[in-house]
Amino acid sequence: MPLELRSVGRRFGGLQAVADLSMTVAPSTIHGLIGPNGAGKSTVFNLITGVIPLTSGAVFFKGERISGLRPAEICRLGIARTFQATTLFREYTVLQNVLVAAHLLSAPGLGSALLWSSRYRERERRARERGLALLQTLHLAGLADQVAGTLPHRDQKALALAMVLATGAELVILDEPMAGLAAQEKAETTSVLQRLREQGLTVLLVEHDMKAVMGVCDTVTVLDHGLRIAEGTPREIQANPAVIEAYLGVEEPGA
Amino acid sequence: MSIDLLVQALLNGFGLAMVYVLVALGLTLIFSILEIINFAHGEFYMLGGYVTYYAFAVFGLNYFATLGFAILAVGLAGVVAERLIFRYLRGKTLNAFIVSLGLLWVMQASAQLSFGVLDKPVPSAFSGIVRAFGLVISVERLVVSLSAIVLIAALYLFLRWSRPGRAMRAVAQDADAAALQGVDIELVSALGFGIGCALAGGAGGLLAPVFAVSPAMGALPVVKAFIIIIIGGMGSLPGAVVGGLLLGSVEGLGSLFMGSAAVSVLGFLVVILALLVRPRGLFGGA
Amino acid sequence: MEPSRGLSAPPGRALSAPIAGLALLAAGVVALPQLTRDSYYLDVATTILMNLALTMSLRLQVSTGQLNMAHISFMGIGAYASALLVTRVGISFWAALPIAAVVAALLAFPIGGLALRVTGPYYFLITFAFSEVVRLFFNNFFVDLFGGPSGLVGIPKPSALPWFGRALTFTTKLELYTLMAALLLVTAAVLVRLEHSRFGLVASAIRQGDLLAETLGVNVFRYKLTAYVVGSLVAGVAGAFFAHSHQVLHSSDFGLEPMVLLVVFTVIGGTGSVWGPVAGTVLMTIAGELLRELHHYESLVFGVVLILTMLWAPDGLVALPGKLARRRRAGVSLAP
Repeated sequence: MPLELRSVGRRFGGLQAVADLSMTVAPSTIHGLIGPNGAGKSTVFNLITGVIPLTSGAVFFKGERISGLRPAEICRLGIARTFQATTLFREYTVLQNVLVAAHLLSAPGLGSALLWSSRYRERERRARERGLALLQTLHLAGLADQVAGTLPHRDQKALALAMVLATGAELVILDEPMAGLAAQEKAETTSVLQRLREQGLTVLLVEHDMKAVMGVCDTVTVLDHGLRIAEGTPREIQANPAVIEAYLGVEEPGA
Repeated sequence: MSIDLLVQALLNGFGLAMVYVLVALGLTLIFSILEIINFAHGEFYMLGGYVTYYAFAVFGLNYFATLGFAILAVGLAGVVAERLIFRYLRGKTLNAFIVSLGLLWVMQASAQLSFGVLDKPVPSAFSGIVRAFGLVISVERLVVSLSAIVLIAALYLFLRWSRPGRAMRAVAQDADAAALQGVDIELVSALGFGIGCALAGGAGGLLAPVFAVSPAMGALPVVKAFIIIIIGGMGSLPGAVVGGLLLGSVEGLGSLFMGSAAVSVLGFLVVILALLVRPRGLFGGA
Repeated sequence: MEPSRGLSAPPGRALSAPIAGLALLAAGVVALPQLTRDSYYLDVATTILMNLALTMSLRLQVSTGQLNMAHISFMGIGAYASALLVTRVGISFWAALPIAAVVAALLAFPIGGLALRVTGPYYFLITFAFSEVVRLFFNNFFVDLFGGPSGLVGIPKPSALPWFGRALTFTTKLELYTLMAALLLVTAAVLVRLEHSRFGLVASAIRQGDLLAETLGVNVFRYKLTAYVVGSLVAGVAGAFFAHSHQVLHSSDFGLEPMVLLVVFTVIGGTGSVWGPVAGTVLMTIAGELLRELHHYESLVFGVVLILTMLWAPDGLVALPGKLARRRRAGVSLAP
């Protein structure tokens, strides 16, 4: 049971963006979170990763309470995420982005940095190697020195994924990993995620492309207006009348 | 310490505060639309002062006509500055800071070269005092405060009810969304900057008879404007009004009890406290 | 911004560019007194070196996304601390300098800690408010200690330093220049080293996206505070030097006007590179000296230069050659 939400709620003034949400993300699974626009999915991600505080309930990871911790601490405990918008350091190269993400030290390490000790140099060399190896697995190694802001969309998505993997996280939370991708690219992303799952990674994602979600996820939770209205396998969800009424009744354009 | 004395002190503080609120409103309007902090704002105030000096004191035009003329003239100057310079810096706060600094130096130096460095006194348009409820206020101060309030109200009505005003509010909230809805960002940007400067120019015209005009006259009002919008919230118009009232009270009462240096320190400490407790100010949005 | 900084190049190659830059700086610093012993030029050069220390350390803070308007206040704290330690407590300049720097750094912890609770323009404004409080404090309070509005006078020059049997004096302009040069080169070496280390890599990432960095496990507050304290330490050193070379301190030396100049030098040069402030400080100071004859026109021309530079070189002067080269390659005209 890596991730557990218990009665999680978030209120913004008069608006209850998320209400009494309980869900569990099982280890080594790909878990989808879907729902119509405004259902509260991004809010849930922000609550889990500590970007905004909960107004009720609690979040547990590997048995420990993480709600109330700062995002950096939550990341150090093993959860990393992507954002829809700024999820890259645009001025940096691909490799530099990965190196930043791989840097999970809390202290800036001034002392050893200033002395340029051999231990420091060795650590940096190994970090570089690991970074390149990671890029290799996502077919980005050839772009290592290219500036992230100039990459085509699908490579930016791949880089964002590389960055969360570089943190060494056990649970990655992906915000619309397939948005803007062509069908072929979505299929590639699906197989990458499945491969990562085989290696023990847990994935929680939000997606609007229904076909992709049903094709890659083991479990799906459906939100509507901040409430959980269904949870189960993709097949169960597709057959669930409440879900159909809230959401699946509308054909996704170009899905 | 009698109540009368306290209330009189408050009244003195408020009287000028309303004019500083005008300056603050201009600054915060520009910030909310262009996302830049215009350090040359005080120079537009100074420009309004000089227009008033020449039109009213030298040329003999009616005071209120002069005020209207100053507002329009400085507003136009603002539009020119925006079209030539600031439109390219929307959203780039750091660069805009440097540029507005450059503009400040340019305008200061131009004023010194054109008008000379010495103070030029402007005669009062109104004489006499008014007594009411045991309090005293000069007619001039009364006119100045009321004019400021009228201008603030006019701004509020403009933003609330007119189409360009609503467009400006839309851009202030979310420029991208407004653009998608067909709002002409360039027009709003120019108009917003122009109105912001016009407000400063009007304030300069209002205070010209009170303090005399000089090239450096814009420095103090701009500092006060900053304090006001920090307390009230950057980008919030009601916040600027409340901030101005608060600053006026603090300064009015403060001058009763301590020297001016201490009052300044107090003002800044209030600012620090405000930023720590409520960084967005009393009314600042999310 | 050139992508080849930091750790994207193998460690060996990553060192060569910054070492070359430092060597060039050292060469320039050493060469100047060979070219001229004129008192005026040495004075200007010493001021430039002091400002370099201030702008390069300010830039360290800016690289993490904070524009600290109280930077000059820490120079002031270092200056007054060193001056009082020497004149009132009676210790030598050589002991007072490090103590004063540490005092500045210690005060940077609470001030930076408070200021960093807010971001962006609010941070800018709160640091400005702090700087005014500090300036007013030195100007109006404890007048018998700080000298009040008339200033603190009678600060002695640095005492002689025993050095392998001889005594190095620091009384002439050349000797003071040498002292500041030594201080600057050490400072520059430290700052350049930081820039090209993991610290610099993460610091600039914070500027590009602090929320993203936080969710990737970076303790953003700690980085920013570290930059704040280190920058303030350097400012304190510069302040101590200023106190004993100038021999008079006025609160206005640490107010808004000099601070604004520091910001201008830093931003005009370009905050993307550790060498940006060097270009900005040197060029703008020289321009200022050349224009000094023009009096009122000086401000006017300076202002126009600022406006045009920011419109045409928004990333600073140091980024200009790279930008022009890319444009020429892309075949685009050079109009802004």
